[in-house]
Amino acid sequence: MGNLLKSELFKLRKDRSLWTLIIILTASAIFYPALIFFDNGADSATVNELFTNTGLGGNNYVVKLVPCILAGFFISSEYSVGTMKSIVASGNSRVRSYFAKLITFSIGAIIISVVFPIIIMAASMIFFGNNDLPTLDYFVQTMGLTILYAAAFASIMSLFSIIFTDSGKTIGFLIIFFLLFDSIFYLLSQEFALIKTIFNYSVFKLFLDINKVHLSNSAFLKLLLVPIITWIVFGMAGSLIFRKKEIK
Amino acid sequence: MNEYVLKTNQLSKKYKQQLALNKVNLSIQKGAIYGFIGQNGAGKSTLIRIVSGLAFPTGGTVELFGKTTEDDLVEARKRIGTMIEGPALYPQMTAAENLEAHRLLKGIPGKDCVGKLLALVGLQDTGKKKAKNFSLGMKQRLGLAVALLGDPEFLILDEPINGLDPMGVVEIRELLKKLNREYGITILISSHILSELHLLATHYGIIHKGELLEQVTAQELNDKCQQFLHIKVDNPNKAATVIETDLSTTDFEVMPDGVIKLFTYVDVPGKVSSILMKQGLIIEQFMPMGEDLEGYFMTRIGGVNRG
Repeated sequence: MGNLLKSELFKLRKDRSLWTLIIILTASAIFYPALIFFDNGADSATVNELFTNTGLGGNNYVVKLVPCILAGFFISSEYSVGTMKSIVASGNSRVRSYFAKLITFSIGAIIISVVFPIIIMAASMIFFGNNDLPTLDYFVQTMGLTILYAAAFASIMSLFSIIFTDSGKTIGFLIIFFLLFDSIFYLLSQEFALIKTIFNYSVFKLFLDINKVHLSNSAFLKLLLVPIITWIVFGMAGSLIFRKKEIK
Repeated sequence: MNEYVLKTNQLSKKYKQQLALNKVNLSIQKGAIYGFIGQNGAGKSTLIRIVSGLAFPTGGTVELFGKTTEDDLVEARKRIGTMIEGPALYPQMTAAENLEAHRLLKGIPGKDCVGKLLALVGLQDTGKKKAKNFSLGMKQRLGLAVALLGDPEFLILDEPINGLDPMGVVEIRELLKKLNREYGITILISSHILSELHLLATHYGIIHKGELLEQVTAQELNDKCQQFLHIKVDNPNKAATVIETDLSTTDFEVMPDGVIKLFTYVDVPGKVSSILMKQGLIIEQFMPMGEDLEGYFMTRIGGVNRG
């Protein structure tokens, strides 16, 4: 497993799509507070506001949509360039190969998911000073939960990426899936009690709660456990699919 | 006793209604260079993909280094190197980075092997050039270097000389011979370039429509390569009629250039020539010849009745 992880991490470091996405997100996170500062002045916003409303609020889309691009290039493209054949024929079990891929992709998705809020906070501190910062507890809580939910979504993305054998199809499908699935899931939950229960305990619903300042212990536990269970369940499902998949 | 690197037992593969492999019993001895011959869609790649773990059989078993269970086969694949249906490369990486990614994947300690393999396949000077900018021949050579990582005991190469220039073909042939001779690496190689395979292989397997028609050694093949009389006359149509009626045989072929290949009466050429001349035919060329690998292959897949 160690050699598989080393190989996947090496490939992730060399993945141009990851670096391109990080650069775009970093640039956006720097330019947004800069524009506010130059347009409206130093008193027009606070670090806390920018971190909570823009950094975390805007990051809802980043966490669910931007890693879809990485999934296409990092996972599905292994089929199209033929390297999936080397991975499968390398003498490592397919389940381990899949989990090495999933763990590494999750790391990539996590990096993408924390870049925007962290950089926007840092840039805001430069432009608007150190007044009205978010508390350390709140920062750690939201970033920690962002990491967990990014990994959970990565697990779902990984499952679909291993099914499709073309990066374009994967990216297109995943973006449409993550754009529409919330709404469809929500509408169905209004009609069927079982689906409502599933929706309420799904990462799609709970992800919207990670910005809340005050959380009860049970709510916090739910926010912690659901993404972990999601990662494991979708990881196992993906590994089973990959185990049975014929590599063309 | 012969030691086998690979054996398949009644190996079958069915895709929906199409039988891609039909009860194939193939065996490759340790130290052999096994030339695997067949038309497109004959089942070569399907068999190679099953042995490499990319596809699953619908019947029969694979025995790799004597291992047959699923877990043991996965472990046994650490001892093989593969290049299947083209080189598997990361286009955005350099040659050295491609080898490094595969070195890590296979868990090979030390980076020394990367430089050595690049030198072995003649890509040591490619520097920062990315694999996507390589010529097809360079990609093939890099694919071969990837397959050689970890000093495999068994190399599986599917069309390794595709796209190589004549010099490259000779280099790869000599390299494979060297690997086989000096390091004892067993090689399974499929190629459409049969003349090239003829210069390399020590054993052959001929597959057609999913069935393994024959396995022969190079020596047996040379013995078997069918002899025929090469006849060129002024009127091939008339000659064909004469052969059918006067020699009572249909075991001949009329080639597009008018040459007749007569597969019987090889030991009595005088009888043939005298009958042709009696019928007023002018003989321009008349000599006994033997088939090459290509001719033998065509004979085997086409059946024996040419008439």
